[in-house]
Formats: sequence, structure tokens, C-alpha cells
Amino acid sequence: MNNTFQVKRFGWLLRKTFLERKVQTLGLTALLLGISLIIYAYCKTVVGFGPAQNLTFIWGLSGGGCFMASFVFGYFGSNASGISYLTLPASIFEKWLTGILIGVILYPIIFLLFFRLMDAGFVMMYHNSLDPASFSYHSDYASVYTLPFNGRVALRVYNLFLIFTSISFLGSLYFNKVSFVKVALVFCAFCFFIFTLNWIIAKMFFGDIAGAFPFREVSISIGKSMNPEEGAIGMPERIFQITEFFFDYIMPVCLFTLVYLRLREKEF
Amino acid sequence: MVYYLTNTLMLQVSNLSFGYNKKRLLYKDLSLSLEKGSIYGLLGKNGAGKSTLLKNLVGLLFPKKGHISVNGFTPHKRQPAFLETVYMIPEEVYVPSLTISGYMKLYAPFYPGFDKEKFYQYLEQLEVTGPDKLNTLSFGQQKKFIIAFAFACNTEVLLLDEPTNGLDIPSKIKFRKLISSILTEDRIIVISTHQIRDLDHLIDQVIIIDQGDLLLKASIDQIATRLNFKVVGEIADENKVLYSEESLKGYSIVAENTDGEDSKVNLEHLFNAVTGNAEKVKSMFK
Repeated sequence: MNNTFQVKRFGWLLRKTFLERKVQTLGLTALLLGISLIIYAYCKTVVGFGPAQNLTFIWGLSGGGCFMASFVFGYFGSNASGISYLTLPASIFEKWLTGILIGVILYPIIFLLFFRLMDAGFVMMYHNSLDPASFSYHSDYASVYTLPFNGRVALRVYNLFLIFTSISFLGSLYFNKVSFVKVALVFCAFCFFIFTLNWIIAKMFFGDIAGAFPFREVSISIGKSMNPEEGAIGMPERIFQITEFFFDYIMPVCLFTLVYLRLREKEF
Repeated sequence: MVYYLTNTLMLQVSNLSFGYNKKRLLYKDLSLSLEKGSIYGLLGKNGAGKSTLLKNLVGLLFPKKGHISVNGFTPHKRQPAFLETVYMIPEEVYVPSLTISGYMKLYAPFYPGFDKEKFYQYLEQLEVTGPDKLNTLSFGQQKKFIIAFAFACNTEVLLLDEPTNGLDIPSKIKFRKLISSILTEDRIIVISTHQIRDLDHLIDQVIIIDQGDLLLKASIDQIATRLNFKVVGEIADENKVLYSEESLKGYSIVAENTDGEDSKVNLEHLFNAVTGNAEKVKSMFK
């Protein structure tokens, strides 16, 4: 018997994972998509199409992905379901792969399809609401368009999604009860620490700084007038590229590997 | 240290050390071997480490030191080939929102020895019926359902943690009948409980642990040979008595069986005798 991967066994596991909690899985997906729709509809009227698209995309993919990831490995909330899950005769790799398949492949596909439909619908409604006889028709028409899935924002969000989702997976394996809340707290505390440390170090080096973003740039106030100008010092290009590569590829791979290792070493 | 497996030996614990806290070990150098074809009663007080031991045996917890071998597998690796030969029924059971047949369709394929006919037969014996979703059943019904499923999986090792908790008296009787009927020569059943009376006439081997220490591992026959359970009007020689309690006819005692008398093992009295005279009993059963 292959103790690492067997197609038939993986199929059973996948079927079991979907069908035993199908109402919860479908309900959570519907809830996340519903919230995305509300955010889009509300934000487009308050802050406009561009920010609405970006916010909804970030929330739906990264935020929704976190919730889904936390749900997928949510067996450890109770002693009974945790034992049932860990003693089920499927390999650790198969259990890990099932989680990845649902949280990292299926959910994003569903979200992207939904987002495209929703985005196209709102954009079309906007275009139809324009008066072709209006002087600004062409510029207004061209100013609103569907969010490109290969644009700068989307690519950045894909990366955020991978990092956030893997952290959420990890958290649900480390914390048994209310893992999502605990992960969010730990993540916020970690971000606060990184930003503060980065700010202190930047302050030590540059003195009067206006802001500092970790792994990116430091803004410095120039001049001593009432309205000093700001200048930004970025990282050297080569180091910036290495950092980007690390966040885009190395970090997600490391985090997802850690999820596998944590699942393997999980005691319950 | 020698690890070995024979035709009868199925479960070997060698020098197991385990603790939830690195500084305070619950088990230290515990060694134990269990053979096929027996029902073991794992007895201990609350917090003695019974569930912890079962969790180590099924690979839910990992030994800090030492080695566990179940059918030649190392449990903590949690390989499918191992997991399909062992079923653990925890004290609290998990049933999803599925019907009986839905559960069977999703879970049974993982266990190659699963017997559908037996499953429905066990359900009938335990009086678990109905088209309802399992999670709407009472706790006792859910537990009986899992017991029926576990028995039908025909795994070589069955670990039951407080299986009678939540069962009413008729269900306990049915459970006892059922469990004695499923024991085969190549199967090993370990029942952990603090409700010792539930195991009367059911087990053929007794394991008593306390504070992570193995106080006794012996068959009922061995116990009956070395200890005498009887009622006496007066206690003649207190030194030979391991445990006594007042009863209607005098005193129920557990004493050394120096005269080779036959007596019926009273598990509750045995437990009290062993936990109250750990070192003496250990030396008697060496």
C-alpha cells in the first residue's frame, strides 16, 4: 500500500470532506461572496469604482481565503472531531492536499468567477447609465472598466492571498479553539512589532522621518518650514527585487510546507 | 532494547516516557506488551493517564522517549496502512450531519475489513435506527452508532475510551454482549474506564495504572490464583489482607491466596487493593 498518496483514497477523502460538511461549506462560500457584493455595491457609491474594485478584491480573495482556510482545518475545535480527523486512514499528504485544494484552488476559482460577473455587471450598469450625447461620455465610459486579473493590484493581492491563507492554515493547526480570532490577533501583533521596529531603526538612521514601510521605503521630511517636503528613499533595486522574490515565491512555499509539517506533527 | 513481534504479540510499548509538560512526565519508562485474542481492561483513577496512553497507542500523541509498536507499525507516523487496522472510540464521539447510510458511504471505504451486514446487525442489536441525521440523535444513540461502526470495521485493534459513559443500563448490557461476541483470535480490544463494574465478566486481562505507573498487568486467571476475594466474619491476619471493606456479613477482603483457594475476582476490590498497596502487588505479580 502506498502510504503517501493513492488516487482512490484521495478521492474518498475529498468526497468525505465535501459531503460531510456541505451545508457549512456552501454556506460559508455564499456568505463570503455575499459580503463581497455588499462591499462592492457600497464602496462604489461612496469612494468610486476603482477603490471599490480593489477593496472587494482584497477582501474577497485574501480575507475570504483566510476564513475558508480556517474552516477547512476546523476539525480541532472539538476533541471528538479532531480525533476522528487525525485517525481517519488517509495519509497526511492527502489531508494536506485536500485542504490546499479547497482553500487555495477551488475557493479562488469560485471567487474570481463571481468577482468577474459582479464587476462586469456593475461596470455594464454604469456604462448603460451614461448619456451617449453627453460631452464627457467617452472619458466617463473609459474611466470605468473591469479589474484586470493580471494587473498590478491583482498580482499583489494573489500574493497576499497566498501568504494570508497559509498563515490561516497554520493558525488553525496551532490553535484548536477559535483559531481564526487567535491568528488574527497574533498576526496584528506581529505586524505592529515589525512596523514599530522598522520605524525605530529608520528613525535612528535618518532622523526626521515622515513614515517608513517595512521592506519598501522610508519617507523623509525635507526642510524646516511649516510645510516641509517629503522625499522617499527606496531600497536598492537589486535588494528590492530579492525581497519581492522572497515575498512572492519563497515565503508562500515555506508557509505551505510548514502547514504540511505542522499537520504531520500535530498532537491532539 | 529489543523489539520483537511474535504471532501473538501485537502491541508493544517499550520504555515509554510521555508528559504534556516537559518537566512533569506522566509516564516514565513504561513497558507493556499486549497479545492478540484478549480484551484488556485499562483501569485507573480520573487523571491517571488512561486516555493519554490510548492516544499514544493510536498515534494522536507522540512519546517523548521510548517506542510503541502496533502490529509492526509506529503509531505516530499515522500511516494509512496502520490507521486502517486500528479504531479508537473516544469518550466523546463525533458524528457529522449525515444519515446512517450517508455516514457509511463516506467512512466505510477507508476500512477494507468493513462489513455492511454486520454493521446493520450491530445497529439493530444496539437499537439505533431511523432515517434521522446522526447529529440530531441523543448522545447515547450517537455513541452506540459509533460503537456499531467501529465494530463493523473489523480492525485488528480496538481502543475504547470510557465506552459506557452516556449509555443507559439496557444499552450497557447490550454493549457487553456485543463486545464479547466480536472478540476473535487475531483481535485485541482495550477498554479504558473508571466505571469498573461495567467490565465485570467482560475482560480477561487487567491493566491498572496510576500516576503514569503500571501497577498491574495480569490475566483474570493469574489474579484468581494469586489473590483471594472472599467475605469473612473477622480479619485474622491483617498482614495478608490487601484490602477490606465492611459488608453485611462481615468484611469483604482481598488477600494473598496462600491456600490455593478458588474465588471470583471482584474488579472494584482488586482496583482498591492494587492502588492501596502498589509495591506489594507489583512484587506479587512479578
